[in-house]
Amino acid sequence: MTVSGLKNWLLWAAIMAALILWFSWGQRPTMVGLFIASGLAVGSLYALGGIGIVVLFRATGVLNFSGGAAGAAGAMTAWQLETWGLWPPLAWLGCIAVALAFSLFYGRIVAPRLAWRETVVKAVATLGYALIILGLVSFLWADDPRSISLPTDGVGIRFLGMRLTATRLLVFAASIAIVIGIYFFLARSKVGLQMRSLADDRDLSALIGIPILRVETIAWGIAGVLAGFTGLMFADLIRLEASVITFMVIPSIAAAICGRLENLTVVLVGGLSMGVIENLLTLSPLLRGVRPIAPFVIAALVLLWYQRGQKLTFGGKD
Amino acid sequence: MVNTLFRVTPSGWAGMACLALAIFIVPEIVGTRWLSVFTSTGCFALAIAGVAFMYARLGMVSLTQVGLMGVGGWVTLRLNHAFDFPFEVNMGIAALVTMICGWILALPALRMRGLYLALVTLMAAGGLEIMFATFQFPNGGDGFWGVQTGSSDPFRRPWLAQSPQAYMRYVFVCVALGFVFIEIHRRLKPGRAWALIRRSEAAAIAAGVNVTLYKTWAFGIAGLLAGGAGALLAGSLGLLDDGTFRASESVMIFALAVVGGARYWYGAILAAVLFRVLPALLNNWGVDADLSFVIFGAGLLHAVITAPDGIAGQIRDALLSRRKGANSGKGGADA
Repeated sequence: MTVSGLKNWLLWAAIMAALILWFSWGQRPTMVGLFIASGLAVGSLYALGGIGIVVLFRATGVLNFSGGAAGAAGAMTAWQLETWGLWPPLAWLGCIAVALAFSLFYGRIVAPRLAWRETVVKAVATLGYALIILGLVSFLWADDPRSISLPTDGVGIRFLGMRLTATRLLVFAASIAIVIGIYFFLARSKVGLQMRSLADDRDLSALIGIPILRVETIAWGIAGVLAGFTGLMFADLIRLEASVITFMVIPSIAAAICGRLENLTVVLVGGLSMGVIENLLTLSPLLRGVRPIAPFVIAALVLLWYQRGQKLTFGGKD
Repeated sequence: MVNTLFRVTPSGWAGMACLALAIFIVPEIVGTRWLSVFTSTGCFALAIAGVAFMYARLGMVSLTQVGLMGVGGWVTLRLNHAFDFPFEVNMGIAALVTMICGWILALPALRMRGLYLALVTLMAAGGLEIMFATFQFPNGGDGFWGVQTGSSDPFRRPWLAQSPQAYMRYVFVCVALGFVFIEIHRRLKPGRAWALIRRSEAAAIAAGVNVTLYKTWAFGIAGLLAGGAGALLAGSLGLLDDGTFRASESVMIFALAVVGGARYWYGAILAAVLFRVLPALLNNWGVDADLSFVIFGAGLLHAVITAPDGIAGQIRDALLSRRKGANSGKGGADA
């Protein structure tokens, strides 16, 4: 790790400690602990969304707005399957399968036709896809209060005097495990190597014979599975509503920005910090109302921090 | 110099014809509901003109235009309920305040290009959405935020435009002025600087163009137009609702600007019509509102894949090829 990298981490730790101290001043420790724990769960969801976005962006150059919508479609399918009395694990698998199918469809059919356009236009095109999915899902499942619950909701674990549901621990553990898993996948497997090479230079990778379509399809698959899992967890922990899950992609992008769309560890840490700070803001009477703004402000500040000292100079990539 | 500045192109004549139609014919033949639909279409056309101009001239993507409209609307309502200024003064101040907001947003963002600029503005849009949802729009209450429960205080429309018909004409004239404002910029020094920056930032710097200044300038114009559009929208109903200014709407506006065709003025009009008139039409025909999302999405994908210049570009190509066909029919008059 470079010195400046170490400095950044120290700065982050200091800021987090200061914020936690500030917001928890004069509150009961258990209460603060509970807010932090539930913040970690929400933050894990942001981070999971962000990881899907970053993996896909690195491998294919597409910033995907439609992950949330694919997750929403999956979560709604899971709800429907459970309502029809299907064995719940199959319904959860159905969720992931639907999200995967939506993701692969875009990756195989639509994305190749846009390969020559600017990054921003590619991103906007995925928005079009998100709108199609959202429209279909909202049309099929009209606005009714629905909920989905996993068996882990009933299991509570006592930790330092706080009762935590197993679902929250599950998302938290999953987000860490997924980062580690993807790290080893990229570092050790052949496809991972090909993905890294694509991320580095697409044209050169094509020249040396990397099967671009195959690698991209795998990346879309990973993104789809992550979207499905995130959608299901979001539906369980927060709300089962198509438009809400669809636009969860915006804070996920905020988490992805923290890692400059490349560093998965920073995406994870950024997402978790956003969740924690957002939840801790509830303790502040002044800032309680603007709580959900936290991810955006953090992402903007992080970007400014990365950009410090840079001047507008000749060209270069974005 | 003056001749080239005020030369009216065929597309300009077409614009004037459309304006005449919109001012003299449309208000007389449509009902109350459509009056309000067309009025808000006009407001959004003005805002879309701002994003489209930035994208077409500089390749800069702003995903916060509707959020900036909200800022303009907020300032207008605030001034309206706090002071006795006429509407035009409120609108002017609102547009300036929004322009400054655009600048504040733009200055740090201008070191970034392409995707990152878009993402910063997206974050801003997300933030503004939450601000509006939390603090609501002033409706005559006390205090800085000026929100009261129950009915809202009256809104002073411009004295020129008290009736809905007159207000609609007023909005259309403002939209036309907005387009002229952009076009004049395009024909003067800033336009040349933008063209160079668009081609290559390196070349622009080498040629002595102040890239930061002209990019900020463009952002300011987009903010100004958004502020004006927000003020006009506030005047249309006399109140605003936070649901209008979601981040998703800002993204949608940009998407539709691409679909409509960002390089042409009629692209912005088409985009606004798709944004406002199409959902109202679908509603009339009894089509589920959710399906309008599907239509938008499919239209967006189709436009992005097959028509880089949007619908407006296709219309233009069709007209040009017809004229060419007619010319060659006459035995190659061009030759």
